[in-house]
Amino acid sequence: MLQTSPAAPQSAELPKPILQLVGIRKTFGAFTAVDTIDLDVREGEFLTIVGPSGSGKTTLLRMLAGMDTPSEGNITLHGQLINDVPPNKRPTCLVFQSLALFPHKSVGENIAFPLKVKGVDAAARKARALELMRVVRLPENYFDKNVMKCSGGERQRVALARALAYDPEVLFFDEPLSAIDYKLKKTLEKELKDLHRETGKTFIYITHSLEEAMVMSDRIGVMRAGRIVQIGTPEEIYGAPVDRFVCEFVGEVNTLKVKRGPDGAWQGVDVPGSFTLAPPRDGKTLDEAFVVVRPEFMRILGPGESADNQLEGVVYNEYSLGSRIQYQVRVGAKVMLVELSRGRPLPASADRKVTLGWDAADAFTLES
Amino acid sequence: MGHKRTNAAIWTWTLFVLVAIYLPIVCGALASFNKSRYFGFPIKTYSTEWWQKTLDSIEIGMIVKTSISIALLVTVFSVVIATFGALAFARYEWKGRKLYQKLILLPIFFPQPVLGLAMLLGFNAVGIQTSWMTAVFAHMIWIVPVVTLVIAIQVYGFDPSLEEAAYDLGCSRTQVFREVTLPLLWPGIWSGMLFAFLLSWSNFPLSLYTTGADSTIPEWLYAKMVAGYTPMVPALGTMATLGAACLLLAGGLIGILLRRRAAA
Repeated sequence: MLQTSPAAPQSAELPKPILQLVGIRKTFGAFTAVDTIDLDVREGEFLTIVGPSGSGKTTLLRMLAGMDTPSEGNITLHGQLINDVPPNKRPTCLVFQSLALFPHKSVGENIAFPLKVKGVDAAARKARALELMRVVRLPENYFDKNVMKCSGGERQRVALARALAYDPEVLFFDEPLSAIDYKLKKTLEKELKDLHRETGKTFIYITHSLEEAMVMSDRIGVMRAGRIVQIGTPEEIYGAPVDRFVCEFVGEVNTLKVKRGPDGAWQGVDVPGSFTLAPPRDGKTLDEAFVVVRPEFMRILGPGESADNQLEGVVYNEYSLGSRIQYQVRVGAKVMLVELSRGRPLPASADRKVTLGWDAADAFTLES
Repeated sequence: MGHKRTNAAIWTWTLFVLVAIYLPIVCGALASFNKSRYFGFPIKTYSTEWWQKTLDSIEIGMIVKTSISIALLVTVFSVVIATFGALAFARYEWKGRKLYQKLILLPIFFPQPVLGLAMLLGFNAVGIQTSWMTAVFAHMIWIVPVVTLVIAIQVYGFDPSLEEAAYDLGCSRTQVFREVTLPLLWPGIWSGMLFAFLLSWSNFPLSLYTTGADSTIPEWLYAKMVAGYTPMVPALGTMATLGAACLLLAGGLIGILLRRRAAA
């Protein structure tokens, strides 16, 4: 089911939808790649669709760009049905995962390509291409450079400038940053977000990396097995995941199985003890549930400290995550993760025994 | 030490292969400079007399013209058919593609004299008078599959998203082909053209059955060797080889220039 964030109902300030998907399905033979998606894309927003490989996000994007047609359902752009409008007649442009830069053309020729197709004269083409090169921060002397001799980051910029040269209303991105090294990726993510703000265009980005999505997006849609399981702002996805899948997709989490005891209190299934939990989402009554605690909300309790829920464990491993340190703590047969800021001493006894604790408000109670 | 020995072995082997390949050609060339009418080594007197006679011969002029006409037409038709054939072979998924991939290769494995005879019988059956034009058709039966393979190799190395990107950026189907597909397949098409020309230029078994009253260079050479040998045979043979070598060289040079321009 499509979940709409609480803020979503049409309030007056929200921009009107530019793209609307109603009941979109795509099947290949017996395989359903995209399974009944309803989605409103607001004009000017940066929407990221995130999901593991095989979740149908690329198929969804290809239908939006016009490279595939939906088996069922309607796609409308500004209220007009565009299901069968071919890509070259749509005011949209896709930045491919492979970037699809033309290897037989120079940087300038690649960027000016959509203008050449439109019949713009050579001088005007060059002027516009140089302008766009400034926008994406490519040096002017790259105009005649062979595009295959550019570095990965430079190619990203060429692909972006080429898409902008087409002047689309909506830009699609199919994981273009997946082959870029971490540091450059961070820079390009921020630049892309800046560019989104400067151009005011609608961006729809797909990726398997939620971290990437968090940095750039106004809204994130999480896809799984052809469906959008949750859509909302990065804060909503992070702070109120609808299920265990979304929760685990956000990052490493601690998951504990619990069930109601005879007295109605929550009892641990794979660790002993009873727990105080926040009520489940939507006020559902559950007999079994999963408690999910993010490693950064799990605390190691010092002497005199206490928390709503406590577990005894033994620290057996630690990893440096840069500014934080992750501790792996064995509680019975279960391994719990705790992340502390660097420099905070570990309040453990000599035999590395610790008391873990978390408060009910810092955990999610989710349907199993 | 071992490295040196490997190098020596590589050089010896290369030299041996080169000598084995070029010795017969050189012998043929030498034979054409023999003043005496009959073939035999050692050559007593050298002369360019037979080369002059070959160049002056009206009959040979016509034969060369026939060979060139056939080869050029075969090149043009084969490359057009094979380019689209290669796209069907290597690029697009369609029903029957697997069968097509096998069927297209079959003529290559068919013995050419049998293929030639079969075509002659076929032409007679439908009442077509054989001439150099029927030979164009016969050559294509064998050459189109070869050229399709050559161009298909280029198609396999082609990222289909490039065509999609061009289409997405506003190109019509024709513009996609002209701006992206054709330029990127060009190296393969170029090799295909050279192959088509050279395979047709030197083809004997298919020409023998399908040229009718006309004659190509290989046919003429064969006829003269069977009866009426003069050193004009090795002279024309050497000229044909040199012509083909020049074409190949020019083709290679153009290829290098194109690549250089692309890399600039």
